[in-house]
Amino acid sequence: MVKQLKRIVFKSYVIGLMIFTVWYGYFMFPLIFGFEGKEDAAASIEELSMSESKEDQMFDKLIAEQTHRKQTDLGYRLIDQPYMEGRFHHIGFNIQKDNASTCVQCHGNVPHDESREIRSFLNMHTFYLACETCHSMPDKDSKPWLFKWYDKDSGKIAHNPKDLIKIEDLNASKDAKRQYPVYGNYGAKIAPAENDSGEIKFLHGKKEMAFAQSYKTKQDLLTPEKKSQMKRVIHRKVSKKPVQCKQCHQEDQPYISFAELGYPPSRVKELTNVGAVGMIEKYKTFYMPALLKPGGAELDK
Amino acid sequence: MHYLTRAKRIFPLLSIFLLLNVNIDLAMANELNCMMCHKHRGLSRINEKGEFRLFYINSELFESGPHRRNQCSDCHTDIDRIPHKPAKKVDCTQQCHMIEPSGKEKFSHKSIAKTLASSVHGKIDADGKEKEHAEDFPGCKDCHDQPLYRPISVFKGVAKHGVSERSISRCKSCHTGGNFAEDFYEHITSRLHKTRFSKEIIEVCAKCHQDPEFRKRHDLDDVVTSYKQTFHGKMVALGSERTPDCIDCHVVEGENNHLIEAKTVATSSTHPSNVGNTCRASDCHKNASEQLAGFQTHVTYDREKYPLQFYMLMGFKALMAIVLYFFLTLIFLELLRRLFPRFAFFKDNKPHHKSVKSREE
Repeated sequence: MVKQLKRIVFKSYVIGLMIFTVWYGYFMFPLIFGFEGKEDAAASIEELSMSESKEDQMFDKLIAEQTHRKQTDLGYRLIDQPYMEGRFHHIGFNIQKDNASTCVQCHGNVPHDESREIRSFLNMHTFYLACETCHSMPDKDSKPWLFKWYDKDSGKIAHNPKDLIKIEDLNASKDAKRQYPVYGNYGAKIAPAENDSGEIKFLHGKKEMAFAQSYKTKQDLLTPEKKSQMKRVIHRKVSKKPVQCKQCHQEDQPYISFAELGYPPSRVKELTNVGAVGMIEKYKTFYMPALLKPGGAELDK
Repeated sequence: MHYLTRAKRIFPLLSIFLLLNVNIDLAMANELNCMMCHKHRGLSRINEKGEFRLFYINSELFESGPHRRNQCSDCHTDIDRIPHKPAKKVDCTQQCHMIEPSGKEKFSHKSIAKTLASSVHGKIDADGKEKEHAEDFPGCKDCHDQPLYRPISVFKGVAKHGVSERSISRCKSCHTGGNFAEDFYEHITSRLHKTRFSKEIIEVCAKCHQDPEFRKRHDLDDVVTSYKQTFHGKMVALGSERTPDCIDCHVVEGENNHLIEAKTVATSSTHPSNVGNTCRASDCHKNASEQLAGFQTHVTYDREKYPLQFYMLMGFKALMAIVLYFFLTLIFLELLRRLFPRFAFFKDNKPHHKSVKSREE
């Protein structure tokens, strides 16, 4: 029995060594025959040579840049951030991915591009507002909607974000080592919900997500007519006219109650009073004061 | 009467004071207004060309570098109203509002741009003509993103990264106003060592020098790859901060970092007559002979350009492969025999070796 056991151990040992020998030969192959960086360079040439037009090249570049990150080592701190070619200012962090939104699945989170003047502002809102918050409106006869935060990962109702609540305290601090507030990156978004006999249900729930995902996976099998039909069903809750800026950014009964969603008083004031409202009101006419700026009056003309 | 005379004296001073205060308030308002929108991470768009433009400013990181003393409008001079039209490209050589402390003029990066123009990276050649593919030659933003302080602290002879309370407390005991001590301390101590980690410097140079298309246009060797294969390159890859990067060897010691010259220029750090001095630079190989770097430092293996180096490499690779795989095969077969001691392709009943008995006979 012991002899047999010894034999098994010995055979296993020999088999292990044989596997290691083969692996070592495989491991050493690129180290002997490969040049560092050659594979990347070859791939780059191959991809670029395949790209005929500038648009093709840009497409390839976008795909290649997907995972490109930049690390800045300050010795006492490592800043790991997304890399954007030609960008001077640091970004610092990634925005959390919204896995719970039906719309973002196809439209991404920079979807507004029609109006040149305000597209950046609209895109700014997509980081903390669900699309349906502005692009869907309750029917005249139905109850007014509630607005709640949903968790970007699970899609479930989330508490008012702590990072939002503490903004006021962070801004009040004058300490050189103070923590800076981060706006909009709360891991949650505001979305409309309905009170269904005591149970709060978001306008876009699991059913909508299932629709969109089913469409995405099966669209190659659909006839063109069915595609159009399904798109119409998915977009059935989209209003013809979206919620207007001033409906939320006003002091008197705003469409969304910022205070109820955890916005601190100073931030509520900023959003419903001078700051944002002034910006919207005077969008075309409000200029920076040019009182002490030589040539300011000329510039304003 | 006496009070009136005094009032007359005070009034102009008061006016200036008030005016300055208004100016400060406007400046602050300006800053606050910019960040009212630009503090949002999502302030972005995709333009007509399909390029993603992000307009977010990370306050924390902006406040961590020397530019924190500037206002947005110091660089973005064309922004004079809010909301504003798309901003123009920033000209780093323009004067900003700060007075350069060692002189009386407003601060500007003009002198750096002048140095860069006279280096190998300048767009204009010695005859004053624009170089071929001038668009490939770098501007400020091609190599620099927003600079960040890398302060160090030395206390009782021990140096470490970051601001030590023990070190800065000595400054703050006298300089109590605002963040003066922090500003000064971080600015000066960041300059006591490299403001960027060696790995980042190599990445910056690699953006152009490792790009095959770029190298083809300018007939350049793949020097970044060859550097990475050297001892220096491997040490940097392992995290060493004491190992030379591109700047350390390609700039004459004590010279402006932007003055990189071609190896054919007599004053260049890589000119054959200066290479010895470059290796002997302080903190490096102090006792190095002229011959320390008297070989092809950035050896590249282009078959057409450097056939000798290419075939030498192939020879060594072949030798290494033959030796390694011969012995690996031998070891594998030996192990196989241990696993199957009685295995044979052709079995015969005759003994392969004479037995002891038969030998005795």
